Amino acid sequence: MSAGRPAVPGRNAFVYRPTASPQAAAQWTRRQVVMTNLRTVAGRAYPRVTGLFREKSWVFFEILLPFLSTSAFVFVYRALQAPPQYIGFVVLGGAMTAFWLNVIWMMAQQLWWEKSQGNLELYFAAPMNIMAVLFGMAFGGFVMSSTRATAVLIISTAIYGVTFSIDQWALLIGVFFLTLAALYGLGMLLASLFLMWGREAWHLTQLLVEPVYFVSGLNFPIARLGVLGSVAISILPLAVGLDAMRQLAFAGAAYPIGTPSPLIEAAILVVMVVVFLVLSRWALAMLERLARKEGRLSVRWQ
Amino acid sequence: MTATEHEGLGSPRWGGFDPARTRGRGWIDLRRTFAVATRLGWQMEANWTDPILFFIYSVAKPLASALILVVMLDVISGGAKPEYRAFVVVGSALWAFVLSGVSGLAWTILDDRERYRMLKYVYVSPSEFLAVLLGRGVARIGVGAVGAAITLVVGVVILGVPFDPARIDWPLLVPVLALGLAAVLAIGLMLASICLQTRQESWSYPEAAAGALFLVSGVVFPLAVLPGPVQALSLVTPMTWWVEGVRRALFPGGITAVGGPGALFTQLTGLAGPTPAQIVGALLVTGAVATLAAVVAFRTSDRRAKDRGLLDQTTGS
Repeated sequence: MSAGRPAVPGRNAFVYRPTASPQAAAQWTRRQVVMTNLRTVAGRAYPRVTGLFREKSWVFFEILLPFLSTSAFVFVYRALQAPPQYIGFVVLGGAMTAFWLNVIWMMAQQLWWEKSQGNLELYFAAPMNIMAVLFGMAFGGFVMSSTRATAVLIISTAIYGVTFSIDQWALLIGVFFLTLAALYGLGMLLASLFLMWGREAWHLTQLLVEPVYFVSGLNFPIARLGVLGSVAISILPLAVGLDAMRQLAFAGAAYPIGTPSPLIEAAILVVMVVVFLVLSRWALAMLERLARKEGRLSVRWQ
Repeated sequence: MTATEHEGLGSPRWGGFDPARTRGRGWIDLRRTFAVATRLGWQMEANWTDPILFFIYSVAKPLASALILVVMLDVISGGAKPEYRAFVVVGSALWAFVLSGVSGLAWTILDDRERYRMLKYVYVSPSEFLAVLLGRGVARIGVGAVGAAITLVVGVVILGVPFDPARIDWPLLVPVLALGLAAVLAIGLMLASICLQTRQESWSYPEAAAGALFLVSGVVFPLAVLPGPVQALSLVTPMTWWVEGVRRALFPGGITAVGGPGALFTQLTGLAGPTPAQIVGALLVTGAVATLAAVVAFRTSDRRAKDRGLLDQTTGS
């Protein structure tokens, strides 16, 4: 606030205003609540976005090496003399892994990690909504992962000559963002669950990599998995999003039938977004209740 | 009582300084440190759940990796290439072992520095830090070895990989396994050296590095499909020779990843595939180079970490 201007309540949500009692001071205006939560989102996203530019080795380990990992599966198909669209399937899958890894390593595990570091009790004590913290983590993680996914997609497309055939750009973009929303919604839900599971969460994170890649059809059309693929489409955002994006990005290519159309899969993603967000909010509330009741927020490494 | 005798952890009875205490007991201390670190690592890996869940956890990763490749193979060939199925199942099973070894040492650094915040205390304890690291890494390798073995069993029993125990080439298998273990630890040590310098996000670095090695080591496809310069890189990678050696020892007469039409090795030597002696020799040489490089990298990283105060620096995002 500029010098000389009187402190008017409501002009700035964070300006000190004299109140009659501590109870009155605790009665925040809606603007103060919203601004605090927005600042929380920005503050939690900040270290993830800034971290991109502070750790130079990140470029090598997060972009070049994942590209090589994706390349390995491209060469498997080349060794098998597979049709060219399968190379594209692998490249698209390789790009999407960036988001999945970010969701399980830096969303699902994060609250448990914060507890181990002693930050979680501060989060709960601070006058903000924990959902805002999770949204901040998700936004920061999305920015981090997007750079890796984009790099893998561009480099692989250029080197391996992947040709996309897209008729419905709007639907493809919509499906992409719905997939991300559902993925990060799932991450927010898992964050609470992992916190309750304690040490098992660490191992569960590792368990959610290759097995999820398999049931999501990361490197092959998920229709080949039959019933298992159908189940995956109904519960895993990565599976349904990837299948829809493949159908849309390789519109002219021969594609194994057996999965819903992209439009239906987009609807499934919408349902997932709603369900995961509602469940994550419920899980957080339950967690907070349990934490206050049992006083386990500050118990580390369990 | 002699001058060097003492009681418990107190000063020697004669009241002076016993220099033998700062020197330690050499090999005995090293062995004890390694054993304790291995036991600690195993408990950290295994005591978080009941044995059944631990078993599922140990097997799910390598089995899923193998199944991804098996489905990819079936999608294209429709099951018409059974010999290639054996090739990919064995390769991906062995890679579980490599992955656990490579990540084990690096994650020990990150675990102790970032999560438990004990790295500085472990470091300043009288134990040899390298022995602690290797011990913890060996425990994780044990978990990976179990996963690899069970994936092989599933491959043989359920996926129909042809396997005859009577045909195992033991004179090749034993030295290749021993040399391969050393090479895996060496690569893990290199990554640990890197993680000593980097931030918390380094958790994914070992997997990323293993993914890159996966490409050049002939794990799931013959090297002949790679460009020439990349094949040259593959031939100086110890993992290439380790995977080739184990595959050859367990499944004599199967597809070779190193040789074959279009392979650089065949162009250079005129052979369809490497002989067992060539495999052991190449693994010995490349493994020795990797080990030397790892020791140099670790010592350099160790010095820099002490110099810049990185041992007790925790980061978070």
